[in-house]
Amino acid sequence: MRTVVNCKNLNVRFRTDDSLLPAVSDLSFSLNAGECLGVVGESGSGKSQTFLAMLGLLADNGAATGSVTFHHQELLHAPRKTLDTLRGNKLAMVFQDSLSALTPTMRIGDQLAEVLVRHKGLSKAQARSKVLAMLEIVSIPDADHRYNSYPFEMSGGMRQRVMIALAMLCSPEVLIADEPTTALDVTVQAQVLRLLDGLKRHTDTSIVLITHDLAVVAGLCDRIMIMYAGRAVEFGSVRQIFENPKHPYTMGLLRSVPGMASDPDIDLPAIPGQPPNLEDLPDGCSFAARCAYAMERCTVERPELYRMNNNRQSACHLEDIS
Amino acid sequence: MSKALLKVENLSVHYKVSGGHRKQVLKAVTDATFELHPGETLGVVGETGCGKSSLGKAILQLIPAANGRIIWQGQDLCTLSPAQMKPYRKDLQLVFQDPISSLNPRMTVGEIIGEPLRVHSPQLSSTQRSAAMAEMMERVGLLPEMARRYPNEFSGGQCQRISIARAMILNPSVIICDEPVSALDVSIQAQICNLLRALQRETGVSMVFISHDLSIIRYMCHRVLVMYLGRMMEIGAGKTFFSQPRHPYSRALIKAVPTVDFDNPSAYLDNVIEGEIPSPLNPPSGCVFRTRCAHATPQCVQTRPELEPADDGTLIACHRWRTLP
Repeated sequence: MRTVVNCKNLNVRFRTDDSLLPAVSDLSFSLNAGECLGVVGESGSGKSQTFLAMLGLLADNGAATGSVTFHHQELLHAPRKTLDTLRGNKLAMVFQDSLSALTPTMRIGDQLAEVLVRHKGLSKAQARSKVLAMLEIVSIPDADHRYNSYPFEMSGGMRQRVMIALAMLCSPEVLIADEPTTALDVTVQAQVLRLLDGLKRHTDTSIVLITHDLAVVAGLCDRIMIMYAGRAVEFGSVRQIFENPKHPYTMGLLRSVPGMASDPDIDLPAIPGQPPNLEDLPDGCSFAARCAYAMERCTVERPELYRMNNNRQSACHLEDIS
Repeated sequence: MSKALLKVENLSVHYKVSGGHRKQVLKAVTDATFELHPGETLGVVGETGCGKSSLGKAILQLIPAANGRIIWQGQDLCTLSPAQMKPYRKDLQLVFQDPISSLNPRMTVGEIIGEPLRVHSPQLSSTQRSAAMAEMMERVGLLPEMARRYPNEFSGGQCQRISIARAMILNPSVIICDEPVSALDVSIQAQICNLLRALQRETGVSMVFISHDLSIIRYMCHRVLVMYLGRMMEIGAGKTFFSQPRHPYSRALIKAVPTVDFDNPSAYLDNVIEGEIPSPLNPPSGCVFRTRCAHATPQCVQTRPELEPADDGTLIACHRWRTLP
């Protein structure tokens, strides 16, 4: 399988008044052509910062070290010019909050057309017809009229589809969707997910779906990376993760979410405690304090990602069979 | 069926909005009629703008009702002045969605949880109050030592526990939970759901549980009320509702919940209902759902369907529910 993005030993740190906040630590993964990778974690797990770092979009007090390559081209600390030719072109991102991600003072048609003029050198008229076609694809009703709308005049679901249209205009090789449906109503969420599902089926675009919703990942992704407190704790195919989770955090997460088939008469097996404070991470495993399987070793020694059969990895001493 | 604890009759909530130069009336809730029974959890589910939060706030008289009655202990709450309403508030409490902004940042956790006692039970000494507060903190899973800390020292999940302790300390008969877990992390949601269920088992408190998340509703609620654009679409027992939803909108909602099915991973994306929720300022004629309904007929455009009872007591507002495939 062809690797499109290769991330090696990525660290992201944020400088705060009195400390360095480790948002992402020692993260390595690859993204293959045409695959859909689900990145699952809670707030503060580093799932968004990983990909913001990759696109050079970290906040001013953030810094990334390590390496993230796109077709062997280094992205971290690449010159602005290089990034500008890639972002919105080969590498596109869909953000959670569509209202703040779109320019409020620009008509949405012009925002979309700008991308084609800039990256593909199209004339304004050519860009317009391509934009209209793309708006149709993402099911914006009355596209001709909506071309002239401002973001605030559209509903959340419609804006999210505009963002997906914006991201898809240049047929990117990688589409990063950061919680694309979290702010949407269920029926509208299904419409947006169907759009991503169509993309996955009909194009070669690799999709990264960042979410906290396991069920969304199950329907769409091929592979899953589970993150906790800035680190990847488990990798596996979507089926492996759901049917045979290895890391206790993954197991807990799967069990604690009420499904449409779970028995409502039984209490939810919740994970006790809460995620650790990134400013004060324990020496050993970050999950040890909440883990039912924690041993003494877990509090002193951080587990590495142990490799298992079938390309699986889990950062848990339980997998250390050596 | 047990005797109703709270009755809502033909309740409507209106907001005045000024769009540009003309003033309009937004009908957030129209004609809501239902009962809440002792010890039950009634789920109120629907999408943005369906009026579920307005309904919850109107029951507590935090916003005035335009029409209708809310009968509590033989008294219509809608006719009371704020001062007359005060003694009833002891029994009717609220937990908000945003756990952080619903706590006063300048009050200690102990002051926040103890305040309802100070207001409603002024006869208690401060020692008695502290004892009640410490006991309540333990019941919601907080350490009584934390009483001197401020809300900003707590995580979202802990803040929601503080909110629940504040709502429960007067031993109310009803708590209205407005999206109490949607702002929380997945692994914390289950903790708060379990806590609310445990408190209900211990005290028999009735809950109105407002949420857009159907799997949480299914897990938490004995009965379910579905709203769309301010109107009731269906109300009935939770188990029947989820196994046999009858209103086309209820079916669409349940269908759209992502499910884990590896034999057919995108099954839930088939037959997704199209379109978006119309503006509540300009709702469709007849059935408010008809613009997105695959089964709509000219009758649905002309006349609004009334709630009709099925054999099992479920009420459905649809002209066609008996004949739908």
